[in-house]
Amino acid sequence: MAAQEPGMKKKRISKKNKSAWRKTDIQDVEQFLEDQRQEERIGTFTDKQNEDLFVVDASPLKTVPSQLSVKKKRKLNALKPMRSHQALENTSKVQDPIVKRNHVRQKKNGRNIELEVRNPTKARHRQANSDRGLYYEKLDQRLTARESGKKDNKVDKDIWQEVDFRDKIPGLKDEKGWISRDLAVHIAGNIGRKVVKTHASLHHKTTKAKKFEAPHPGMSYNPSLKAHQELLAQVVDREEGIIKKEQHLKRVTTSMFSKVTPEERDRRRLNEMSEGIKEEGEPASASEDEEGAEQKPADNSYSTVNAPVENKKKSKQSRNKELKQKELQRLHEAKKALKKQTADLIRIKSIRAEVKEEAEELNEVKKRRKAKAERKKFEPKRLGRHKFVEPDVDVNMPEDLAGNLRNVKPESNLLTDRFKLLQKRNILPTTVAVTRKRSKVKRFPRNSHKEAGVSFQDLRAQRKAAAAASKANNDTIKI
Amino acid sequence: MRRPKKYEAGEATQYISRRAALRKLQLSLNDFRRLCILKGVYPREPKHRRRAQKGSSDIKILYHAKDIRFLLHEPIVWTLRDYKIFAKKSGRDRAIKDFRNLKRRLAMFPEIKLDHIVKERYPTFIDALKDLDDCLTLLFLFSTFPSLHLIPREQSNLCRRLTIEFLHYVIASKSLRKVFISIKGYYFQAEIKGQKVTWIVPHYYPFKPQSRQEVDFKVMSIFVEFYTIMLGFTNFRLYHGLNLAYPPQFPSNMLQDNADTLKDESSFVSDRITALNFELLRTDKVQEDEEEPDIDMELLEQDGDSKRIIKMKQEAQEVSRLRTLFKGLKFFINREVPREPLVIIIRSFGGKVSWDSSVFSGATYDESDETITHQIVDRPSLSTQYISRDYIQPQWIFDCVNQRQLLPTNKYFLGEPLPPHLSPFVDAKRDTYIPPEEKALHDPSLIETHAQSEDESEDDAAAEEEDTVEQELLDAQLQRAYQQETAEYKKYGGADGVNEDEEDSDEEDFDGEEQESDDDDEEELDEKEKRLLEEKQKMSVQSGKVHKVNKRQVHKAEVDEHRLQARMVKPRHRNLFRKLIREKQAKEKEEWLLRKKRRTIETDAKEAKKLAKREARKAAAAAAAAAAQLGAK
Repeated sequence: MAAQEPGMKKKRISKKNKSAWRKTDIQDVEQFLEDQRQEERIGTFTDKQNEDLFVVDASPLKTVPSQLSVKKKRKLNALKPMRSHQALENTSKVQDPIVKRNHVRQKKNGRNIELEVRNPTKARHRQANSDRGLYYEKLDQRLTARESGKKDNKVDKDIWQEVDFRDKIPGLKDEKGWISRDLAVHIAGNIGRKVVKTHASLHHKTTKAKKFEAPHPGMSYNPSLKAHQELLAQVVDREEGIIKKEQHLKRVTTSMFSKVTPEERDRRRLNEMSEGIKEEGEPASASEDEEGAEQKPADNSYSTVNAPVENKKKSKQSRNKELKQKELQRLHEAKKALKKQTADLIRIKSIRAEVKEEAEELNEVKKRRKAKAERKKFEPKRLGRHKFVEPDVDVNMPEDLAGNLRNVKPESNLLTDRFKLLQKRNILPTTVAVTRKRSKVKRFPRNSHKEAGVSFQDLRAQRKAAAAASKANNDTIKI
Repeated sequence: MRRPKKYEAGEATQYISRRAALRKLQLSLNDFRRLCILKGVYPREPKHRRRAQKGSSDIKILYHAKDIRFLLHEPIVWTLRDYKIFAKKSGRDRAIKDFRNLKRRLAMFPEIKLDHIVKERYPTFIDALKDLDDCLTLLFLFSTFPSLHLIPREQSNLCRRLTIEFLHYVIASKSLRKVFISIKGYYFQAEIKGQKVTWIVPHYYPFKPQSRQEVDFKVMSIFVEFYTIMLGFTNFRLYHGLNLAYPPQFPSNMLQDNADTLKDESSFVSDRITALNFELLRTDKVQEDEEEPDIDMELLEQDGDSKRIIKMKQEAQEVSRLRTLFKGLKFFINREVPREPLVIIIRSFGGKVSWDSSVFSGATYDESDETITHQIVDRPSLSTQYISRDYIQPQWIFDCVNQRQLLPTNKYFLGEPLPPHLSPFVDAKRDTYIPPEEKALHDPSLIETHAQSEDESEDDAAAEEEDTVEQELLDAQLQRAYQQETAEYKKYGGADGVNEDEEDSDEEDFDGEEQESDDDDEEELDEKEKRLLEEKQKMSVQSGKVHKVNKRQVHKAEVDEHRLQARMVKPRHRNLFRKLIREKQAKEKEEWLLRKKRRTIETDAKEAKKLAKREARKAAAAAAAAAAQLGAK
């Protein structure tokens, strides 16, 4: 039954006539007989010696080292099923009793991108494919550009040429003057090429200060005396102002308080902190304590510092009186006002003068306010938390003026200068650089580390060198 | 009706805090900062801070809500968001060492495009030129920077290229007008399309470390990023306006970072200067010498010679002379002189320049060249000197440009103490009162006469005082006449087109030449004498007639003209006209007052001097008399 597979059933054949009998498979019987005959001819395995059957292999076992690199091996290993999954494999020799099983195929999550790329069925697949194509085309371009080392010049057109947005959109190119500009703007927005208008306030100046301030003539590397003196005077003025302010602050703060020695301070602090704490050694306080202790149990009732609030009711009579008084007061005041009015009739001239004076004062205030507003237009605006502080005036001190280009001593830092100018023109808010504080690290040498000391030999060499130098010096002086 | 809530209308809705803006735009603070700087949206100060901040009174950074809404439309907002995505994805690739993907990602780095923003911020080319001051100063500064933490090397390289391109334009168009050496750096002012563009070049090109405390480098770097694009487009347009090829082609080894320039600062700097000293390629075949047609000043004739027109004419003439100031001159710059500003100036006014070829590259001729006219030296003495050239200090170049004429070189000779270097930004010809000392500083011809007259007065003997005064008066009158003459000459320009200043500087030579010519002409003398004699006989002296000016008539004419002018003014401009007149009068009065003050002070001083002298004389006479008496006794 070698040919017959184990699972297969024998086919039943009818054996009605002789020709049917010929179809009978007798191969297994013949095979068996053939085997028997052969055994009789050459004998069985049991008759033979071990030496006849086996040969001892004397040559060393050749193991061919694998040509694969570690990386490739890893890749091959990755293809194999995971070892952790080996436990799940069916190793049983017992056949599955159910011959035909319905496979429950799990549906794959998401899209099969590979399939979509291979045979796109929907419009979006095609779109995605074309997009992907564009992406890789661009990538190739960039990679080749980078390899060739050529930089594309970003500036290759005149951007200030007059261009109408309508010319770029084919349908909107208006040759006959039928499409108004507003309509064109509207349509462009709907097409997806929105025309963005900049609002005018973006170009408004926020300060009237000049963009370019001419340098003071005293800042020349070789200034005329007068110009330099002027500049110096300016600097001195500024500095004096600063000093004055500082002095004022000092006067108002530091020097307002009396000074005490550190010991006195400590003593005062101790006193203040220990206020109200009774000390054990003091006899007086002890007696007080005793008195208090005596009093407390005697006076059992509750008492506070403030007197208790009483709800006093006013009588009707007193209320009436109050009302009457009020009425009287009002009448009196009205009378007084009338009297004043009549008196004012005589005073009309002086009142006029007063009014005039007041008006003048108001006018003055108005003028001052206007002037201030005008001044403010030139000053930097307050944009952030910090106020803009005018940078120092750059000036060369008279001793630094060399008078020639070779020995110029440059002042000022141009970058700071520009930065401040941007702040002054309200482009940047004034900020203060915040630096992160580094955590303090206490450093100390290891116990095992020893400082390299100075050896005796070194000291001797130094001494010798010093002596030689002094000697040489003496010589030169003599000559 | 619904009761209106607080802060739902008015100033509170007009402003938006930075935090709210960030939330609205969905950007990080750094990205927002960048966007604002690129788009030119700046914080604002509200009129009533408390109202604008919805009741809170601490000072916040506020923006116009309209501005932020405008930013919402900006396409580069998407690029900024792409950056965030890019950083995330490439970071992941790097972390899992997926280098194939990382390479792909890096190649597809989202690039920001600023062309449309430049156009949007500067609708016209002139707008861009107006804002070029800051741009140029910053780029010149950044071109000196090495690669720093927040400033990539490409940026400083780009700055270097762009600034050199711009300088080439200035040289080619000859548009430089004013230069000034200050302690800050070199100020340059060019006039491009009628706009004055001023920039500062720092003194020493090698980089000086900057403190991080004072300046936010990142912010400045963003400004520079925008300005590079802007200057690129500006250069493009400027070059095409001059028919020059853009980008200009420099020799291949120039302006490239190699081991040498990276290692050695001086070679880095010299590379820059070499790039400046070479001619640009033109797209047309026009000779460079051909003058571009200037505005015809004669067309402005209709207004007669009003003060402004005369001034404008004079200015135009001066500028046309300035453009060829150094034409035909050959300069040689010594080693110790800062070359960059000098090369720019000399080349932009038509001069030729070279330097020591053994020290720096790019020299065009040697020191031994006999055709060199000027050698610029900045040291007290020089061992070998050529007779054929002037040895001058660098300030001469700057002063010549500011005075718009070739100054006599004698004050700028080697080792000479220099005259003060005056700022060209203070207008020397302004309308207000200018004290004579300052005038003398600007016009060196005045200075000498002034000094001489003083010397003379001091030297004079006391007895001849009156005479000398008269003499001085005469001298002064003569001088005044001469000055008037020269002024007129200046005003209407030399008829024969000879540069007047050259005449001044070479006066001595001229005298010599005249003498020579006299010698040559001796043969023709006889004929000439005859002719002269004939003419002499015909000559006669007639009594001169005083031309009388009817002052009243002149005044009347002036008043009439003024009235006519006043009538011509449109009603809406009447106030402006009045203001102008009032200002003019005030200015004139002030000037007159100052001059009067000066005069009185001077006369007082003179008087006092005279008195003192007279008394001294008297005392001397008395003393002499006393001595004589004593002697007699």
